[in-house]
Amino acid sequence: MFELIQKSRRSGLSLIVLALPITLFILLCLSSSTFTRFENLANVNSQIAALLIASLGQGLVAISGGIDLSVGAVMGLTSAILVTVDPALAVPLALAVGVVVGLVNGFGVTLFNVHPLVMSLATMTVVQGMALAVHPIPGGTVPAFLRTMAVSRFAGMPAAFFWCVGAIVFAWFLLNLSRFGLRTYAVGANPISAGRNGIAVIRHKVLCFVLCSLSAVIAGIFLSARVGAGDATMGASYSLDTVTAMALGGVQLAGGTGSVLGVVAGVLTLGLISNGMNLMGISPFLRAALTGVLLLAAIGFQRRETIGA
Amino acid sequence: MTRSTTSQTMAIGHMLQVSGRVILSLPFAYAGTVILLIAAYFMRPALLSPFLLLLIARQAAPLGVAVLGQSLCMRVLSIDLSIGGVVVGVSYILTSGLLPFPDPVLLLIAIVFGIAVGLLNAFFITRLRASSVMVTLAVTLIITGIAVAFSQLRSPGDAPQILRDLVRIKIGIVPLALLIWVALLIPIALFLRKSVFGRYIDAIGANPRAAWVSGIPYVRVVTVVHVMSSLFAVLSGFLLIGFVGVGSMDLGRDLALNSLAAVILGGVTFGQGKGGVFGPTVAALMLTFSFNLLTSLGLGEPAKLMMQGLVIGVAAAAYSVQRKT
Repeated sequence: MFELIQKSRRSGLSLIVLALPITLFILLCLSSSTFTRFENLANVNSQIAALLIASLGQGLVAISGGIDLSVGAVMGLTSAILVTVDPALAVPLALAVGVVVGLVNGFGVTLFNVHPLVMSLATMTVVQGMALAVHPIPGGTVPAFLRTMAVSRFAGMPAAFFWCVGAIVFAWFLLNLSRFGLRTYAVGANPISAGRNGIAVIRHKVLCFVLCSLSAVIAGIFLSARVGAGDATMGASYSLDTVTAMALGGVQLAGGTGSVLGVVAGVLTLGLISNGMNLMGISPFLRAALTGVLLLAAIGFQRRETIGA
Repeated sequence: MTRSTTSQTMAIGHMLQVSGRVILSLPFAYAGTVILLIAAYFMRPALLSPFLLLLIARQAAPLGVAVLGQSLCMRVLSIDLSIGGVVVGVSYILTSGLLPFPDPVLLLIAIVFGIAVGLLNAFFITRLRASSVMVTLAVTLIITGIAVAFSQLRSPGDAPQILRDLVRIKIGIVPLALLIWVALLIPIALFLRKSVFGRYIDAIGANPRAAWVSGIPYVRVVTVVHVMSSLFAVLSGFLLIGFVGVGSMDLGRDLALNSLAAVILGGVTFGQGKGGVFGPTVAALMLTFSFNLLTSLGLGEPAKLMMQGLVIGVAAAAYSVQRKT
């Protein structure tokens, strides 16, 4: 039972990963007249932008063989910082916090040998506590320039579109065109042989965690700017949503397999389901339950070697 | 310096070394409890009155019961984060009035619900080999999502009278809830120490691959452990609902994380499969006491969260480093 499971290609893309969002799109087009209107599509785009940015970071960590549950808490802390600190310092400070959280996660997992799930669960709790301490009650105003960057339109397209394109291009470049990407796949697939081939495994894994936390900070900046207010618990659902999106996109939690296209497909699937349920007037809490069902289904298909965590 | 004093100092040094090693090898919860009690003695001596200590112990009972299940899961290298979800589910079953049955039947339904959740978790973890953290988080998402969505149609009402009485009764000065906890604790500790099942758990925790190869009923043991964990969560939910008196969708929200923290503090290291039942139990008492201390010092929810996280992170890191050296 412990024999290696045959892995598909490195991208992890399968027909179902790509067919799922396309089918959903067609179904929504047919079932709802408001769905294809430009306002609604722009709305879907804004809704999924934060999830997409955070999921790309999560995907990076997953391909390198880890997982980061602190994404949502980092988004919350970012939001809390944006509305409490002097506008000129807010963004640099939030990014610095992201780097620190990423370093703590990364060093905990590599040097201290803590399971990534346990480690990021711990940082998630600490960071969430810090966010609530900084900004206990939702409110406040986000710096004006960020608000402009998140909600204005450019050449007829909503700003969210450009945030998404930027994030996708950057992640794609990182994973497919740079040495960094090649090393990430190598470390995730087999850290020992990666190390023997001269890759600084520890440094690389830490870097992946830092990039993931930074992407969470950027997602948090976008989301707070779009909402226009700070909320320390804003990201609560994002930790699991990013994992769900990633798993739906064929990224293997065991590491070494995944692609930017897959993550985008997974995020689109989740986003279209949310939007569809919204248009049909279904309770947002049932939507959370459905996310759970999707998560179960997606990870149920990822058979691993080991039983347990 | 004469020879005898040298050997004496050496002997004392050796004794210190040995005792140091013994203290280090004990679960952090023991030393932590002592430190907390000393801190409380200097900062808030009122907390140390027998009356308050018993109240705190009673308050720790739901966590303590949940910790029993969590510690079993972690000893077979699994994790159960669905404890909070189970409690919310139980709370809705018992208090919503959606199911028109008398209280005893409702309690029975809640227990069946717990078994079902445990089996569902176990199915995904053992048969489909999915990550236990992800599975149990997803199950929590599903249960709370459905319960909260339904609670908007029909809001939760009063807790069953049996449960409210159960937690109010005292025998002498000892609350019944505390006795229930102890009554669960001792047989389980003995059972795990003496039975074949307990040995299986230790074997799987020590080396899952070896346990698998040597024909230990791996899947069955992990399944039973997850069902037990969910059943303990149901019992923990009974106690919590009794304490609060009314149903709530917020009940048991931090139970999963707290139980995880208690188990790690109690010396059951994740990925090492070592540890007993008493360490986590002491840790449950310690955590509850520390939350009371934090509250009495005027520190609220954020401080509590930060402490939980720090405890999980630091304790897990410290154990892992110990194992490496």
